[in-house]
Amino acid sequence: MKSLGSIRRSFAPWADPASKPYISFENVTKKFGDFTAVNDLSLIIYEREFFALLGASGCGKSTLLRMLAGFDNPTAGRILLDGQDLRGIPPYRRPANMMFQSYALFPHMTVENNIAFGLKQEGMPKADIDKRVGEMLELVKLESFAKRKPHQLSGGQRQRVALARSVAKRPKVLLLDEPLGALDKKLREETQFELMDLQQELGMTFIIVTHDQEEAMTMADRIAIMDKGKIMQVATPPEVYEAPASRFVADFVGTVNLFEGKVTARENGVASIDSAGVALRADNAEAAAQGSTVWFAVRPEKIKVTSKRPEGTAVNAAEGEIWDIAYLGDMTLYHVRLDDGRVIRTSLVNAERASQDPLTWNDRAWISFAPDAGVVLTQ
Amino acid sequence: MTDTTVSHATGSAATRPDKPLPARLADAFVSRLVIIVPYVWLLVFFLVPFVIVFKISLSTTAIAMPPYTPVFDFTGGWQAIKDSFGELSWDNYTWLTEDPLYYTAYISSLVIAAISTVLTLLVGYPIAYGMSRAPATLRPVLLMLVILPFWTSFLIRVYAWIGILKPEGLLNQLLLALHVIDQPLVILNTHTAIFIGIVYSYLPFMVLPLYSALEKMDYSLIEAAEDLGCTPISAFWKITFPLSLPGVLAGSLLVFIPAVGEFVIPDLLGGSQTLMIGKTLWNEFFANRDWPVSSAVAVILLLLLVVPIILYQQAQARAQEA
Repeated sequence: MKSLGSIRRSFAPWADPASKPYISFENVTKKFGDFTAVNDLSLIIYEREFFALLGASGCGKSTLLRMLAGFDNPTAGRILLDGQDLRGIPPYRRPANMMFQSYALFPHMTVENNIAFGLKQEGMPKADIDKRVGEMLELVKLESFAKRKPHQLSGGQRQRVALARSVAKRPKVLLLDEPLGALDKKLREETQFELMDLQQELGMTFIIVTHDQEEAMTMADRIAIMDKGKIMQVATPPEVYEAPASRFVADFVGTVNLFEGKVTARENGVASIDSAGVALRADNAEAAAQGSTVWFAVRPEKIKVTSKRPEGTAVNAAEGEIWDIAYLGDMTLYHVRLDDGRVIRTSLVNAERASQDPLTWNDRAWISFAPDAGVVLTQ
Repeated sequence: MTDTTVSHATGSAATRPDKPLPARLADAFVSRLVIIVPYVWLLVFFLVPFVIVFKISLSTTAIAMPPYTPVFDFTGGWQAIKDSFGELSWDNYTWLTEDPLYYTAYISSLVIAAISTVLTLLVGYPIAYGMSRAPATLRPVLLMLVILPFWTSFLIRVYAWIGILKPEGLLNQLLLALHVIDQPLVILNTHTAIFIGIVYSYLPFMVLPLYSALEKMDYSLIEAAEDLGCTPISAFWKITFPLSLPGVLAGSLLVFIPAVGEFVIPDLLGGSQTLMIGKTLWNEFFANRDWPVSSAVAVILLLLLVVPIILYQQAQARAQEA
């Protein structure tokens, strides 16, 4: 497992201009009547990548997946897979297999026949089919359930049968449509790691559709965040979190505090921002033009809460009172209501037992953060 | 002391020791009452008539009112009833095996019903499939259209087919006008006309169970099959059709069972030479006034149909389990 991790760390074809795109969406638009599900979208996915399409329901992420599988055709634009235009190629001739959100297991077939279904279509010899089905059952740890029918399985077992069936044909691309949506939290987390291992083991390109940002962050090499049929940002999980491209992305992935303000001065990429009377200084603010309105986005865990004014800081600090406290075990959330009415969300990891400042409800408190704690957003 | 041991032994009493036995019996009666009503209905309107028909089938014809003997004389006391029982005989059933008319009529009815059922399935399946894939807003309208013929008398609808199928009827006129044929086709008074009549009349009974089986099928199963390499046609045969089998069976039996005993369609469209058991029965009853033999014909017909009826009920039970 260690070695897989190191392969994974060095895997970054998107950073290499010489990499060949594996799947390309080129200006793809999909309309259902008056409704535009996917709007002039372009996207490149590389071979062996674990790619996540993340967005709220109705953002067009499933439509994108269904167009790749061949169930829907783009209204405009084209989709290329390994250099081949997929237009007009029916689903049964595409080298991609899909794992359905509803699992879509064939109710009249046993587990092994479900898994063997695609192989039989290929005309694989029976001995080979039996061998492959055996391997698949072992992979998903369902050897003793081979003769069961889907309705005799639990939700988690069905999910694993669906997974085994979709990878049995060793497709070049595996499409996963909300694959873990029906599982409970514990099982979901376990399965996430199983899926990652599986992807490394089989060396396939995985494209997963999900509305769960944690799921996307955990599993994917890169995440595309979608809204209203458009892609808002494509980046690795740390980039999406640390350097969101817009307020939408910052807000969609995790929790964020947005300080809106005017840029009063800018020097060597450091911007001074006046946010309703609170003086802010932000590093890495090349994009912020003087006099423009910007948003300084700071994650809750990067804000300190103290009972006294932090020493030696004239900027990036504001006073208020503790509005709400939520103790979550591993961390504590503080909502601090600034004197101008803004509520700032902060979080504190409970690294040591009962080590915190004894701040409690309605206490006066100061929030403060470093100039490089946040990111300046212009849109 | 004895009482407690007994109630412990029965188990159910042990769980409710607070209620005395009469109260428990009353409870049981009230909860069973709901089930009793349909049983009484079946007893009065199915079992009793059947017993009467069965009794008549064991009697002998007589020129009398009613036209058979013996007639139970309940005023004559127990002895008279016992004497009447002594007069019953299986002669009518023996007669059914001796005269080829009856068993050829039975066989021909079964064959005609079977062919008609297959034809109805062939016509009904595409209709039901089309309905189940129609936009959800359109489906109630389509269902309505399937049921619509029931608003007109069955007899009138079958009569109407005479006007369509007869040598100078609408169909022949149309085909002649289109120069498809130069001689009118003889359809009326043939088996073809019976098939057309049965397929037309019983189509809704085929379409409705098929539709309900197909409509509840998850369309993503078809997508999954296509995704795994099936062409749409092979996805149909491997997924859609097997999953619709309960509907196929239910529809087929709903057509087959009444078609075997069908009288109106063979009588109006099949002409005089068609032999079907429903017609034979009618002739025995009304033309020959031989109530005992016609009753025997009816009893045998019922026994023939018991097998498919049991099959149908098993299929229904299985469909409900799934």
